[in-house]
Amino acid sequence: MGRLFWALAVVFAVASASFFLLAALPGDPARIVAGPQARPADLVRVRKDLQLDRSIVARYGLFLKKLVHIAGDPKASEHASCERVIPLVRGYELHIDLGRSYQHRAPVAKVIFTRYPRSMALAIAGIVIQLLIGVTVGSIAAAKKGTWIDRFLTGITSLGVSAPTFLTAVLLQYLFAHRLRWLPLDGFGDTFLDHVRSIALPALTLGLYGAAYFARLTRDELITLMSQDFVRTARAKGTSRLRAFVVHGLRGALLPLVTAAGLELGSLAGGAAVTESIFRWPGLGHLGVEAVLNRDGPMVIGVVFVAASTVVMATAAIDIFGHWLHPLAREKSSE
Amino acid sequence: MFSTRKASLLFALIGVLGCDIALPAPLPVGHPADDTPRAGGTLRFASLGDVRSIDPARCNDGVSSSLVRFLFAALIEFDEQGKLVPELAERWEVLDGGTRFRFFIRQDVRFHDGSPLTAEDVKRSLERALHPDTPNPSASYFRNVVGYDLYADKKVPHLDGIEVEGSHLLSIRLTSPDAAFLPLLTLPPARPVCKSAGAQFADNWAPCGTGPFQLRDGGWSKGQFVRVVRNPMYFVPGLPHLDAIEMHFLMNPPTQRFKFEVGELDFVRDLTHADTIRFARDRRWQDAIARGPDLDVYGESMNTEMPPFDNVEVRRAVAAALDRKAFTAVRPLHLSVNTATLPQSMPGVDATFQGQTFDLEKALEHMRRAGYPFDPKTGQGGYPKTISYLVYPLGIHEKTGQLVQQQLSRIGIRIELRLVSWASYLSLSQRQGAVAISPQGWQQDFPDPSGVLDPLFSSTSINATESSNSAFYRNPALDSMLARAHTEFDPERRKDIYRTCNRILVEDAPWAFTTSLHSFEIRQPYLRGYTPHPVHSYNFARTWLDRSTTGTPSSLGPRR
Amino acid sequence: MSFQQALRKHASLRWGIVLVSIVVLFSVAGPWLAPHDAFTSNPERAMTDALLPVGPSIEYPLGADRLFRDMFARLALGGRLSLLIGIAASAIAATVGGLVGIVSGYAAGKKGGSILDSSLMRLVDVGLSFPFLLLVMAIGALLDRTTVASLLVTLGVTGWLGTARIVRAKTLTIRDLDYVLAARALGQQQIVILWKHILPNVIGTLLVSATLSIGQMILAESVLSYLGVGLSPPTPTWGAMLYEGQDSYTLAPWLLACPAAAIVATVLGFNLFGEGLRDVLDPKG
Repeated sequence: MGRLFWALAVVFAVASASFFLLAALPGDPARIVAGPQARPADLVRVRKDLQLDRSIVARYGLFLKKLVHIAGDPKASEHASCERVIPLVRGYELHIDLGRSYQHRAPVAKVIFTRYPRSMALAIAGIVIQLLIGVTVGSIAAAKKGTWIDRFLTGITSLGVSAPTFLTAVLLQYLFAHRLRWLPLDGFGDTFLDHVRSIALPALTLGLYGAAYFARLTRDELITLMSQDFVRTARAKGTSRLRAFVVHGLRGALLPLVTAAGLELGSLAGGAAVTESIFRWPGLGHLGVEAVLNRDGPMVIGVVFVAASTVVMATAAIDIFGHWLHPLAREKSSE
Repeated sequence: MFSTRKASLLFALIGVLGCDIALPAPLPVGHPADDTPRAGGTLRFASLGDVRSIDPARCNDGVSSSLVRFLFAALIEFDEQGKLVPELAERWEVLDGGTRFRFFIRQDVRFHDGSPLTAEDVKRSLERALHPDTPNPSASYFRNVVGYDLYADKKVPHLDGIEVEGSHLLSIRLTSPDAAFLPLLTLPPARPVCKSAGAQFADNWAPCGTGPFQLRDGGWSKGQFVRVVRNPMYFVPGLPHLDAIEMHFLMNPPTQRFKFEVGELDFVRDLTHADTIRFARDRRWQDAIARGPDLDVYGESMNTEMPPFDNVEVRRAVAAALDRKAFTAVRPLHLSVNTATLPQSMPGVDATFQGQTFDLEKALEHMRRAGYPFDPKTGQGGYPKTISYLVYPLGIHEKTGQLVQQQLSRIGIRIELRLVSWASYLSLSQRQGAVAISPQGWQQDFPDPSGVLDPLFSSTSINATESSNSAFYRNPALDSMLARAHTEFDPERRKDIYRTCNRILVEDAPWAFTTSLHSFEIRQPYLRGYTPHPVHSYNFARTWLDRSTTGTPSSLGPRR
Repeated sequence: MSFQQALRKHASLRWGIVLVSIVVLFSVAGPWLAPHDAFTSNPERAMTDALLPVGPSIEYPLGADRLFRDMFARLALGGRLSLLIGIAASAIAATVGGLVGIVSGYAAGKKGGSILDSSLMRLVDVGLSFPFLLLVMAIGALLDRTTVASLLVTLGVTGWLGTARIVRAKTLTIRDLDYVLAARALGQQQIVILWKHILPNVIGTLLVSATLSIGQMILAESVLSYLGVGLSPPTPTWGAMLYEGQDSYTLAPWLLACPAAAIVATVLGFNLFGEGLRDVLDPKG
């Protein structure tokens, strides 16, 4: 219960902090909406339409009041920008209202909840590739510890983490989409198969970047575990090397790997802005960056809100997973 | 060991990128010898930017206005020579000394929803766009219409100045004569919209007008694409030839080029600097490239209220010190030297007038007269303080700003670039007393000098926080001449007035005029019947597709 | 184990040091060796007939940039900045993160200290819940003018959070070791215990994470330039050069290749160096 309260508090603090941070930024959102050549009289009109003529305190009050509320009459026009979350008894509903985007002129909640699954899909695909490459490379490196294969593999993965993602992205796009024509250049696609094909390159971009960390983690964990007594005993009893590796080694490395993957998921939840923009993947990342540049306050807060919620949820999920996997950890962490 | 191996691998990859990027030949045309337009097909193009709206009542950027033209026809329109011609109005009359404009509207026009267009619809559409609750960023352009102020203050339910005189006869009355009023009717807010739009702007209205194309459900996904399809009831018989037009947003230039090469895009405009040069220099592509419409005039705006630019001699020194040719090398095919207020394509521009010219000796002389003599040999003298130059990232101005810095250092003006976000740049550069010098541009809404000179240099455009006159330039003589040009209906005399204005501004140098930007368009030759328009981008109303069915790239690989 | 032994045993340390030395040498000496000034455009000599910058030649060893300035001089000067930003930002992050981590870890579970520990860690939670890029961009925009100092603040403010967590965990394991408990029983002052017993044990972890973060900071700077919140021109930074190069790589590949190679080599160098350092300090491998 304390955890849940704390999770909500973090999300609330992050959303409020971004509200005031955005309000403090130089630049006038109405000017960006109206365009560089708009005249003062028309700017007044646009400012009023965006409710920017109200004081910051009034706007914050409104934001808080609407953020999570219970609607008695969900069809009412005041709930037009809400995302319905849970239907309650007798027609009452629990709503999330993140306001309306200045730039999109649409409910932030609606825009974000369409894009959020796509961002998560990309994040998860990226992490899967990171894990695939990382665990494979890490295991081989651990098995061939100290040889040139070990050094070569860890070196290759370090190269991935050393290149800016937009360089990797452009190279991958050129090679696999333009030259070889195996995969689409960009976009989201219309059918499920299209989505899978379209996600491949952005996911690979993220995967190459993050793989080094997982490779290192797997290698270190495996080397530590394999030198421990119970594995040696098993080996002495005639367990094959491969079996010892998989059963004892990889299983032991599971918790740190899952923990790292969970944290990575959290950090990718706000979207991978650069990768998304190069491959035109319609997720949250590019949306958030554009929103900051355009001073689209409600949209930024929305992205931050969703991203922070994901981080908090991922952290909680790791904890639960850890407890389930390692009952011992429960005692340690309650210390 | 591995590090060198990897480094060489990387270089090899980049080498592949660099050397193996030769241009392919244009894709084949189906019937090169036959000029008869063929119906059908979807034209696809892309843009680096996005559109904010396709509702004519709140549309402000260049890309949106072009898109609005696909869907919404106007009473009158600029033709491909930049001349106003009838569109929804068969003809018009200028009455009462230029305070009344009467339009005879075509009887055979239908909206996309099938209902006929009447004078009442034109009035309703304008009233909707100018309604005080409509977030229209250009409503005040129409403030000269009789009754505008009362209507904007919600004192009256209708705009008195728009009079329906018959089912297809409409008059617009102005409070004072205005020779520059007609071009305003080509702007989005004046384009008629269907009855479904109602009397007031609403976000969820599905765009519906009288244009050559129409929008269906799900045709627009913001930030991704818009798809418009042929309007079978379009009032010009036989047009449009295309079945549909698809425009994709936020697409990177390299991606655009890769798609264009294989025919997934038929027309490109936003290519990288290097790719544009490549196409321009390739003989095979010569018939498929065109200089597009002039988009912006650029200059260095000097705040005439702030030192040292309150001194006209310093401003003249700056105007003479800038080597504009070097600016154009930043984007050789998009920038042209522009030494005076108006781009060369603007009607009435005197092509023989030299404007502000680069002359280092003259610039040093002006510095001397200003009281800041500078000796280029020793680097001594000049203006003693460092001046902050406001600029925003990732555009042409970020590059030209560095050239301004280098070139002004030769006459003893030391500049430091202050890079701020676009949002901050907009706020700061139009605020009184905030910025001494900044690069500025102006995009013409219509090809008339008033659309550029009034907002940039009239003292009526000065405002404490939102001054489009970013130089805060006040000159009563210029003001009265700009005002007179509005009441002068004789084209020749009007041109003369603007020529004088031009000379004053070149001499007084509130801006150092530098370059003008125009687009550079490349199309696959199978996109036929295309002529660049002097005002509008994407002039696809009369184009048709004539792709060869054999050997199309879709048979080459599985892409898409 | 001597330094030579460590070098012989750990390939990554070896290669890391080699790469970092090359980059440092190039950045420090480069601007003096460069045949031209990094800030002066010279279209007369550096522009081809096609209005493009010249490629690598004897006069311009790495070619010229879009404004016809010497790439060699700019790359070296950019290297100084990138190294400065990477190292200084990592140092700030390590100092703040180390301090917070040690204090928080030492205070955890003690009477009166729990509140300090949990409030510090909750602050870290909030900070880590922000999408990194958006936070950095917002802080950058708030400071309104990007300078080296403001970049350091931005990267430092956002960079210490993870370090604090790691150091706290490490401190937790150390503070209950026998000799620390003994020192406490002997009545040594808290500050002395922290300084004499905790810090020396944490410093290795801190050093490794700081070295590894140098590369990440350099990459972060390049992303900021890519998004338009980097340093003001004409100051060259690798990130800004990389972004510029992207525009012309079909005709002038050196514009992309030079900063790309420099960034990759530097980040790789520091990563290898950091990993090598970890192997030396924590020889479980």
